Amino acid sequence: MWTLARKLLLHDRLRFAVAITGVSVSVMLVLVQVGLYYGFMDTAASLIDASHADLWVGKKGNDSFEFASPFDERAYYKVASVAGVARAERLLVNFAQFKLPDGGDLGVQMIGVETTRGRRALLEPWNVVAGDPHRLAEPGAVVLDRTEYDKLKIDRIGHATEITGVRAELVALTDGIRSFTTSPIVFADLRSARSYLPQLGPDAVTFVLVEVQPGLDPAVVQARINALPHLAAYTRREMSLRTRAYWSDRTGVGAGFFTTAVLGVIVGFVVVGQILYSGTLQYIREYGTLKAMGARNRAVISVILSQAMISAVLGFAVGAPLAIAMRAAMRAANLNVALFPALYLATAAITAIMCMFAALLSIIKVLRLDPASVFKG
Amino acid sequence: MSFTPEIQPIAPRPPSTGVIARMVQITKVYGRGDTAVAALTDASLEIHAGEVTLIEGPSGSGKTTLISVLGLLLTPTAGEVWLEDRNVAGLGERALPALRARNFGFVFQGFNLFPALTALENVAIAIRMKDPRATDVNRTARRLLDQVGLADRAHHLPADLSGGQKQRVAIARALGGDPPILIGDEPTAALDTKTALAVMELLRELATAARRAVVVVTHDPRLERFADRVVRVDDGRIAAITTARPTAPRSPT
Repeated sequence: MWTLARKLLLHDRLRFAVAITGVSVSVMLVLVQVGLYYGFMDTAASLIDASHADLWVGKKGNDSFEFASPFDERAYYKVASVAGVARAERLLVNFAQFKLPDGGDLGVQMIGVETTRGRRALLEPWNVVAGDPHRLAEPGAVVLDRTEYDKLKIDRIGHATEITGVRAELVALTDGIRSFTTSPIVFADLRSARSYLPQLGPDAVTFVLVEVQPGLDPAVVQARINALPHLAAYTRREMSLRTRAYWSDRTGVGAGFFTTAVLGVIVGFVVVGQILYSGTLQYIREYGTLKAMGARNRAVISVILSQAMISAVLGFAVGAPLAIAMRAAMRAANLNVALFPALYLATAAITAIMCMFAALLSIIKVLRLDPASVFKG
Repeated sequence: MSFTPEIQPIAPRPPSTGVIARMVQITKVYGRGDTAVAALTDASLEIHAGEVTLIEGPSGSGKTTLISVLGLLLTPTAGEVWLEDRNVAGLGERALPALRARNFGFVFQGFNLFPALTALENVAIAIRMKDPRATDVNRTARRLLDQVGLADRAHHLPADLSGGQKQRVAIARALGGDPPILIGDEPTAALDTKTALAVMELLRELATAARRAVVVVTHDPRLERFADRVVRVDDGRIAAITTARPTAPRSPT
């Protein structure tokens, strides 16, 4: 049946090209839209995912990473003294004003990390492509992402400016660390960050990052910390999911991207369905002849389903590379399209199902076909 | 040309080695109530192995309904269809495809070949459709094409074949599975005279050489010389069955 299906499909090359185009556009839309969604979510949770902390501790009731409320540093000491905590580090997160060369200001997201020479911090800049990140421990040292060059109007390592009126010097550049908000991320040592965020007070902390003692179940330590008043502890994965859910639900970005992806599936469904149906109508007498000669319905249906599957496979084979090309193009615009094996598999499955359903109308037509009709001239 | 007509009685007779299908008092009514139309009324016909049976009649007389019932493509409203020594008229839809595959091959006016498939592939697909477990399908298809004189056209698409050649391919396709009965619905209507007579000669050879029954619906009285019997249908009834013993030369002049 594959031979018949393939030849029927290829016999009208223009129609075949339209079918493959429809499926490949659908595949590309699904991959890019869902990839954009996951890319945005990865961006939103990137700082959390890149941390080495087993637990994130914040003020109870915080929904997101960017807009978390600070709390008093005394809570940090309480957390640090909980049994099972091997290491605790303070993290300060808030928005500050970055002075531009032309005198203007730009809002940036300040990330104040506890740096200790000779020891990896539980959160520190990664993907460093220039400069010396170890200098972050120096007063006034900051690390930025090079994709923010244009926005911040900086041009070199050593560039000096002010943040909220306090001197800041660029000591290293990363590549690919971006915030879900439009504000560039700026890393600084905790002490420097406190000087850039005077509105929070000298003892403010936004999160406490916890490393659990080796061999101990983080959930046990988590429960102990949750017993402390006004604090909530989350595993790194839980914190990441909370942040993703915040941006997905509160902004509607999830609904937006998935709606477009669904529209892509509908486009593919309509195009393939129309092509298969017109093809079935074109060969209806031939199908009727086969039925008259004793072909069972399932044999004729298999020809139509085979055409649908060929369209699905070839459409995916064209659409997936298109999505990869789109990802490369969007990367130039600093948009992250996350394409991963499970997404490819899911899209392939959706494409196959879409094409099979698109064949439904043709299958119904053939099932209802009266073989005696071929005698009617 | 000369032939001796002989009127044969239509009364049912016990199955003989020559009778491979029987239609007994077939009635087919389309529609209901005021819109009901009797396409066939009390039609009885025996189909004999090794014979060419022509079915003639004006348009709308019931010829196509007659062969559709015979070929198990239509269920009669009343009557019996005897095949394989049993009445199959009342069988459900699930049983009919296998019966058709075993017993019938069909040839149509419009050929109904898949334009995307070569002659060989058109024959092969029919063999596979009839019997999904068939082996050596391509070899069987070649043999059938050879039987109809088209072995050298096996890899040609229908668009590259003449009308007569297409009909030969269709006949080869109909022979897939070696059915005892071939049914042709105006198989020569789309062909010129010379080609039409050549196709009928082929059908006659297939009937006599393989003891196969060939039933042909036609408007063309010139084809009577190839027939052993001529069945005249008029207004849904079998008006007459005449026996013709053709003595004409086989090749058209």
